[in-house]
Amino acid sequence: MLLEVDGLTKRFGGLSAVSGFSLGVEAGEIVGLIGPNGAGKTTVFHLLSGFHAPTAGAIRFKGVSVVGARPHEICRRGLARTFQIVQPFVNLTALENVMVGAFNRTDDPAAARARAGELLEFVGLGARRDTPARALTLPDRKRLEMARGLATGPELLLLDEVMSGLNPTEIEAIIGLIRRIHAHGIALLIIEHVMRAIMALSQRIVVLHHGEKIAEGRPADVARDARVIEAYLGAEP
Amino acid sequence: MAAEVAGGLALGLLLVAPPFLPPYFLEILISVMLFGYLGAAWNILGGYAGQFSFGHAAYFGIGAYTSTLLFLRLGVTPWLGMLAGGALAAAFGLLAGYLSFRYGLRGPYFSLVTLAFAEMLRVVAVNTKAVGSSLGLVIPSREAAPIDFVFGGKLPYYYVILAMTLGAVWITRRLERSKLGYALRAIRENEDAAEASGVDALGMKLRAMALSSFLTALGGTFYAQYFAYIDPSITFGPAVSIQGLLQAIVGGAGTVLGPVVGAFVLTPVSELSRAMIRGRAGVDVMVYGLVLILVISFLPNGLMGWVRRRPAPGRS
Repeated sequence: MLLEVDGLTKRFGGLSAVSGFSLGVEAGEIVGLIGPNGAGKTTVFHLLSGFHAPTAGAIRFKGVSVVGARPHEICRRGLARTFQIVQPFVNLTALENVMVGAFNRTDDPAAARARAGELLEFVGLGARRDTPARALTLPDRKRLEMARGLATGPELLLLDEVMSGLNPTEIEAIIGLIRRIHAHGIALLIIEHVMRAIMALSQRIVVLHHGEKIAEGRPADVARDARVIEAYLGAEP
Repeated sequence: MAAEVAGGLALGLLLVAPPFLPPYFLEILISVMLFGYLGAAWNILGGYAGQFSFGHAAYFGIGAYTSTLLFLRLGVTPWLGMLAGGALAAAFGLLAGYLSFRYGLRGPYFSLVTLAFAEMLRVVAVNTKAVGSSLGLVIPSREAAPIDFVFGGKLPYYYVILAMTLGAVWITRRLERSKLGYALRAIRENEDAAEASGVDALGMKLRAMALSSFLTALGGTFYAQYFAYIDPSITFGPAVSIQGLLQAIVGGAGTVLGPVVGAFVLTPVSELSRAMIRGRAGVDVMVYGLVLILVISFLPNGLMGWVRRRPAPGRS
């Protein structure tokens, strides 16, 4: 098991954002994490990537606990993430943005530059390499965010709504990109509201509601689950 | 290409012309270089890492006092005292930086804490008899002794500070292209995203702090040797801190040459307005202030940002 989460709980004051959440991700797997707004999905990502400390529970990555580790340490161990609201280094060029990630695996600027160039090509931003990130469009920024995450050399990549705000054509392109990332043997845990995409991509789907897991299984089964339908649409009167 | 030629020409002039300058201009040029140097030292932490220190006087003062005290009390040559001061300043910078960064002080809160550290040292120096209290320390005038960092005329001092400034520029250029340089700029742009990309923000900021405070302290020793007099309000006072950051911001923070370019613009403006407007106290400072306001309003990325229109170079 690449990632094992057990009884993960996060309380902010009196509010339980996540409670008793458990999850496993195998190497090379694609798992979808869905749930209505405010369900606690992004909080789960913040906990996994070290930006929040859990109130209780265990997180093991490659068999080693990452609870209490700082974000850069978790990234170094091979667990990288993107941000729901893209966070480019706006005054750096696209290439320099990705180089920052690539330095996670090398100290040599020439090697980091070469790796960053490859990854920009890989995500389809090759022509934008010398453009400052502030001048990139939203779809390009999403790709940049993914390239920077990939540059850190992850075994598991957490993608937080990389399709939000994109049009159907752009979404198709991102789906293709995610499949190509997966083809490189990288496991993915994906938060997404675009149902068509998450259903198509995921081998397994986990549904979060009010901070608790209410369903888990194959996409087709989850889509028929009564509790999931209720969570999204409300109970029938 | 044009930039390289212009740079080479400027460097040639800086090396060759000074012996033929009248003393007054030489003095101005020494001030330009000292301020450019302080700006370059500040720029590593403030410009690249984006951590705006208002308290670099702390390191300047530690440098000035350490070398001067070692010389006066123990007869240690200031050339060595300079390194001792640098090491002490770096240690103090690491302590101040650790206390600030570890507890998550960012932006203006960090700036205020650095100011407080410098003021604290100033008050300690004022109240400590052993370091001359508010009267300060005088390096007695005597024969020129290059081994003790004492020269006969102003010209050798000029070449010393020129070498220091060129050294600081060279270090900055190396830094900019290194892993540390990328990490610092990433932290400046977005610390959370930098951490998520594997950047040890605390460790990298502390490295920038140590380097920046070390270099600033060397400038303090130069000041002490050149003027042969230091006191707490000159060396630990806020004016020194402000001078360093002004050169960098006006010239272009986070650029290799920005601080030096800034010093070449600001120092002459300050000197000229003082020389030309006599008899009306304060008018020269107003002119200086006006130039600052104009630069900051119309060139938010400094003079280099305006020349380049692209703040972060990175071509290989």
